[in-house]
Amino acid sequence: MQTLGFAYAMLPALRRLYPNGDELTSRINLHLEYFNTQPYLASFILGAAVRLEEGRASGRNRDADVRGMKAALMAALGALGDSFFWGALKPFAVAAAVAVFLAGLWWAPLVFLVIYNIWHVGLRVWLLFLGYESGGDAVSLVAAFNFTKLARNLKIMSLSLLGGILGMLPLWRAEFRLPVPVAGPFAIAVGGLAATLGMVLLLRAGGTPAKLMFGLAVVCVVLAFLGAV
Amino acid sequence: MAIFDTKTLTDIILVALAGGIIGLDRTAAGQFMFSQPIVAGPLTGWMLGDATTGLIIGIVLELIWVMDIPVGTFVPADSTILAVWATAVAVLGSAGREPLPVIGFSLLLTVALIPATMRADGFIRKWNSRLAAAAEPTPGEHAGRRLSRAHLSGIAVFFLKSFVLYLVLLPLGLIAAHLFSGLPMRFQGSMSLFVKLLPLLGIASVVRRLSIRTADGFLLIGFVTAATIGLALRAGFLLVMLVAATATWVGVKYREGRS
Repeated sequence: MQTLGFAYAMLPALRRLYPNGDELTSRINLHLEYFNTQPYLASFILGAAVRLEEGRASGRNRDADVRGMKAALMAALGALGDSFFWGALKPFAVAAAVAVFLAGLWWAPLVFLVIYNIWHVGLRVWLLFLGYESGGDAVSLVAAFNFTKLARNLKIMSLSLLGGILGMLPLWRAEFRLPVPVAGPFAIAVGGLAATLGMVLLLRAGGTPAKLMFGLAVVCVVLAFLGAV
Repeated sequence: MAIFDTKTLTDIILVALAGGIIGLDRTAAGQFMFSQPIVAGPLTGWMLGDATTGLIIGIVLELIWVMDIPVGTFVPADSTILAVWATAVAVLGSAGREPLPVIGFSLLLTVALIPATMRADGFIRKWNSRLAAAAEPTPGEHAGRRLSRAHLSGIAVFFLKSFVLYLVLLPLGLIAAHLFSGLPMRFQGSMSLFVKLLPLLGIASVVRRLSIRTADGFLLIGFVTAATIGLALRAGFLLVMLVAATATWVGVKYREGRS
């Protein structure tokens, strides 16, 4: 899908740069070669590809290796983008939104969308221009934006927020409040933390979220039939 | 009462259409995260007249599946379909009854849907990968026409995949919800407890992928801060979160300054 998407995004620039039908056809075919990277960081490669195509079409840089640039960047940017956007920014936005929701406020989805898209849209636009200006120089990207450091800090913040959410378990909104009338709030919070860490251990031991969901349902049914609920 | 009256059938078609459009945001177009359960769930619920049910389902599924990342060729569970489907089943299947047990039951049923959504997604991606060859212009042809057509048909195929899945799976879900209402009250009560415990599993799924340690230090700092300020001093929920996040940020900066 990214191969087609990339070629489609290049189409307006290619049409403008290559009015000759045969050359345009050949350039479209080149951009229809396999392409896969992190979809947001593809903006950087897109900007760079337009710059190189411009140089090639004007004759300033007839040997511009657009194919080589794309191949060199897509794997590296894929890894960088996956770990930042999917592995750090998204869980952070989710943790913040979950905290808002469990506090009893309905606008949690807006919090998620705003936190995520400020970064996402901002970086997508900025990277398009940076890619164009640098002609695909990955060093300029790494120098301008430290994805690794920011990803690490966002992960830390997410963990802290999740810990905070667990600490507030007795005060979660009504639908999620546990029916343990005899235990005090501290005991409920510590019990929730212990149960969560137990599930982390099970996940590390090879369990999957789907298996654990099923197991949790079985436990709940057994508890209900024992009269504990 | 009939399960499939005219209104329910209309709602099923509406959900399939809306779900198909929301699903495009997942990989085919935009990726502005409208397709994430935390947004798709409440949107579906709002459309059917119960945004809160959608929000509860969306939050739970978001936590559980947020770290199921599409890295490389791995095709993750389609959490958009799970959220839209579970919300529609819970809202249409609860029919004026206490919603929490039906919410729990529909969330449990999503476990059975995961392999189907993954297989459908894998199949569509394979199908779409062939479109690049179909997009290559031939000499003499208007350049770009085939490419535009192939690109748009790729997006349409993604829409159709979700649309058809909803049309097939939603009636099955509603039949299951109808059968569920006839089960003993204890079983229904167990599903309410299930909903209350699922966020803990969601948090565990995220912690497991964010940290290599089970009892991560930052998780514990957040916990202790919240328990101290929130439970002992009775500070407001969001204030506690803000203090926990600020304390962690200061700690991170201090550590950076020392290293």
